[in-house]
Amino acid sequence: MNPILKVDDLLDSRLMARLDRLDVISRKIFAGKIQGERRSRRRGQSVEFADFRNYSHGDDLRFVDWNIYARLDRLFLKLFLEEEDLSMVIALDLSMSMNGGNPNKFDYARRLAMALGYIGLVNNNRVSLFGFGAERIERLTSMRGRRRTREMGRWLLDRTAEGIGGFTDGMRTIALGGQGRGVLIVLSDFLFPDGYEKGLNYVAGRGFDVFALQLLAPEEMDPARHGLAGDLRLIDSETNKETEVTASTAVLTQYRKSLETYVAGLRDFSVRRSITHQVVETSLDLDILLLDYLRRRGLLA
Amino acid sequence: MIFLAMTWLAPFAASIVALSTIPPLVALYFLRLRRTRRVISSTMLWKRATQDLRANAPFQRLRFSLLLLLQLLALSLLALAIAQPQIEMGDSQAKRIVFLIDRSGSMNVNDGPGDRSRLDEAKKLAENRVRAVNSGGIFSGSAPSVMVIAFAKDAQILCPFTDNAAQVIAAIRAIEPTDETTALSDSFELARAFSTVTNPDKQSTVAADAPAYELFSDGRITDLSQSVLRGGEQVVFHSIGKTATANAGIGGVAVSRNPNRPDEVQIYARVINWASEPFVGDIEVHVDGRLRAVTPNPVEVPVSQEDKTLGVRIPGDTQVVFPSLPLPKGGIVEVRLAKHDSLIADDRAVVVAAPPKALHVALVGRGAFVMKTILEGMSLESLEIFSMSEWNDKLKKDVLTPDTFDVVVLDDEMPDDLSRGRYLIFHSPPISAGISPYGTKNNATAQSIRDEHPLLQYVNLNDIFVSSMTAVAAGGEADVIVESAEGPMILTLNRGALTLIYVTFDPMESDWPFQRGFVNFFANSIAWLAAGGNSVADEPLAPGDVANARLPVNAKEVSMLYPSGKEIPIVENDPSNISYGPLRASGIYTMSWKAPKVKNEPSSRAFAVNMNSRVEGRADAAAEVKFATERVAGIQGGASVETAFWPWLLLLAVAVLCLEWWVWLRRV
Repeated sequence: MNPILKVDDLLDSRLMARLDRLDVISRKIFAGKIQGERRSRRRGQSVEFADFRNYSHGDDLRFVDWNIYARLDRLFLKLFLEEEDLSMVIALDLSMSMNGGNPNKFDYARRLAMALGYIGLVNNNRVSLFGFGAERIERLTSMRGRRRTREMGRWLLDRTAEGIGGFTDGMRTIALGGQGRGVLIVLSDFLFPDGYEKGLNYVAGRGFDVFALQLLAPEEMDPARHGLAGDLRLIDSETNKETEVTASTAVLTQYRKSLETYVAGLRDFSVRRSITHQVVETSLDLDILLLDYLRRRGLLA
Repeated sequence: MIFLAMTWLAPFAASIVALSTIPPLVALYFLRLRRTRRVISSTMLWKRATQDLRANAPFQRLRFSLLLLLQLLALSLLALAIAQPQIEMGDSQAKRIVFLIDRSGSMNVNDGPGDRSRLDEAKKLAENRVRAVNSGGIFSGSAPSVMVIAFAKDAQILCPFTDNAAQVIAAIRAIEPTDETTALSDSFELARAFSTVTNPDKQSTVAADAPAYELFSDGRITDLSQSVLRGGEQVVFHSIGKTATANAGIGGVAVSRNPNRPDEVQIYARVINWASEPFVGDIEVHVDGRLRAVTPNPVEVPVSQEDKTLGVRIPGDTQVVFPSLPLPKGGIVEVRLAKHDSLIADDRAVVVAAPPKALHVALVGRGAFVMKTILEGMSLESLEIFSMSEWNDKLKKDVLTPDTFDVVVLDDEMPDDLSRGRYLIFHSPPISAGISPYGTKNNATAQSIRDEHPLLQYVNLNDIFVSSMTAVAAGGEADVIVESAEGPMILTLNRGALTLIYVTFDPMESDWPFQRGFVNFFANSIAWLAAGGNSVADEPLAPGDVANARLPVNAKEVSMLYPSGKEIPIVENDPSNISYGPLRASGIYTMSWKAPKVKNEPSSRAFAVNMNSRVEGRADAAAEVKFATERVAGIQGGASVETAFWPWLLLLAVAVLCLEWWVWLRRV
């Protein structure tokens, strides 16, 4: 995969054309901030009927159902669903652990964020980007419309992966932020030394429709097939701490068990909180991920 | 606290091993192998996968590791094993150890496990001790040199100082039981003689380090009060036997012929009881192996008692007199307890009753009336009276003339030749026999009297008064029987073909002839000399004594048949005077020979050897031994054996290593 040097490297025109047909969908109905193209919990002026209620003084007489008045001799007001925009938040892990793997997990995450953001902007959704890392929260909020695409691309281009963790603080910031409720897509490897539980709990309890996309490099999925063997001194990219490993068959087997256990733990944790969890191996083609995997998982339609 | 009671046989070797292995092991845990460096996103999952991913930069803080703990434990156990810890029970660190093993009669008491004898127990214990002091193996320090001395009446070195354990054990196993009395001082003298190093250049004696003594005994040793431990000498007393073992035995037996009816014998016995309970039992008399008499009622012997003044235990005793038994030809008379106890050897006593013998006696010299009358009153075959000149003439003609008489009585005169024969000599000193007169003493009374000697049986010399006696210096061969303040009064001498009893005074210058004991002494002396200088009527020998016999001059193929049935040939140049021994076990020994047949001359002679229960019959083992200057508490039985722990430590170390290996496999 080519390195990302400019905005066009994040999203090529071929993929962009295919993404134009997609839209972000949510399993929940949220209240938007401005009138948009999505149903809202609010009663508004769309053509989609919602309910009746008794007329009260001061109501707009345009919404009185005169047919019912003719039959029942009572004034009822027709209520219509309001159509509002969808808030789409993309949270990008900026920790150093993302800057690894082949293909690089951070590059993959930025391309994915660019693609998802583009889908959101194209469909007039309110797109916000958050980058969380060590003691830093970087954001680009409330973008709307296709014309913001390059701005989003430049923002992503400027992001770097460094430092340790920051997931919990990032999720707390998003949960307490005023960008409105909507779809939250977390792009991370979820390999946080202090755990992911606390951070996910922040957003899970705030009404977001959360998608946790766990990005793992191929050598993380299967170290033996990607050159990790023998007596190794593994250096943690975040902490720079060294760990000596004799990658024997038994150790590799034990590693795979540990990975499966960790992923299964994250999945169970997510399911219990209505979070959609999806493991994404960075060797997976982005087209396939967007047009197949995420459509099947219900994020895109 | 058990470590404080341990002996560490090779602490230096253990220190070297510990210092050379444990620090490198710890260092290896600090050091890291050279590994391929790889930067990965996160090591979190790897850490979860394996425990040996614990980061360990060189010489960083040592973290807890079960493997390291197990390896340190295994190494520590190995080091401890090499130190050869043993339980120390009075053991010394001496480089030389003398094993003193008691083989006296009391060590034949069968009160050990499985009715084993005390001697067997002592030998087993001594073997264990030898193995214990030599159990170091290749890591041990130098094993101490061990000497083995077996002692009873006298001491015998069975193995000089050596560090060859097999040789020492072989010597211990070769120890044979005896029925002798127990004397320890000779053993110490022997050991000291071998422990002393002499510098030939300086002609000075340099004492080497005092050896450690390990005494294996029941503690019933007669001469302990005369034994003094020197500076630096230490004794470990392994007390063998039980302290409550009772024993009764025959303390003595005597057989005498009835002067009026020589075909009959009167048998006397003394029964000894060392127990704190009275002994009640029957006493039997066997003649030539056949039961001939038994006490009509069980004999009751009182308990032994402690004499607090002398600090000794006095056994209870009872004398038994059996009715006269017909014994016209002589025989072996055995008195025994009907029921055996733990010490069998003293349950019986044997005497060889000689057939009534008609004696040929010569009275030479002055021929005092009293002596002539007494001799005539004895039932002799013949009594010939010579003047000294007549006797000298006969000697000139035939030097073997004295051998034609059983006894020659010399009354106040000396013959020209006194080289052979059996003499009872009064007053005139037998200078040629090695007795040196140096004057005359007056007004002498007997002060030291050996009442137990056969010559003094039924002789009371306490009241005797001698107005004049010859003062003599007795040589080493002389055996003084009665002594006054002025010198010996009665002595015996046995040298080659010459046996004599010398009375240093003229009985006529004393009040002795007026006492009944003088006649008894005369009779005892005639019988003692006629019997060869041993006994009145074949007086039994004590274990350890030497058998003396006068055989025909032309006797050949002399041999001795032991009570055990073993027959040993005796090589002796002069059959007329044979000394053989010591005879260590009790029982009947039979000396036989071959010679041209002479009418009525026997071709064998029996010797009875009896263990004296009064001396050696005490069967309760002593809890401590009291030397002249100190007491040594006993260590009971096998408890004193040092238990070697190092094989168990080694086994435990191997087990820990196996566990460590298993833990390691589980983790990889």
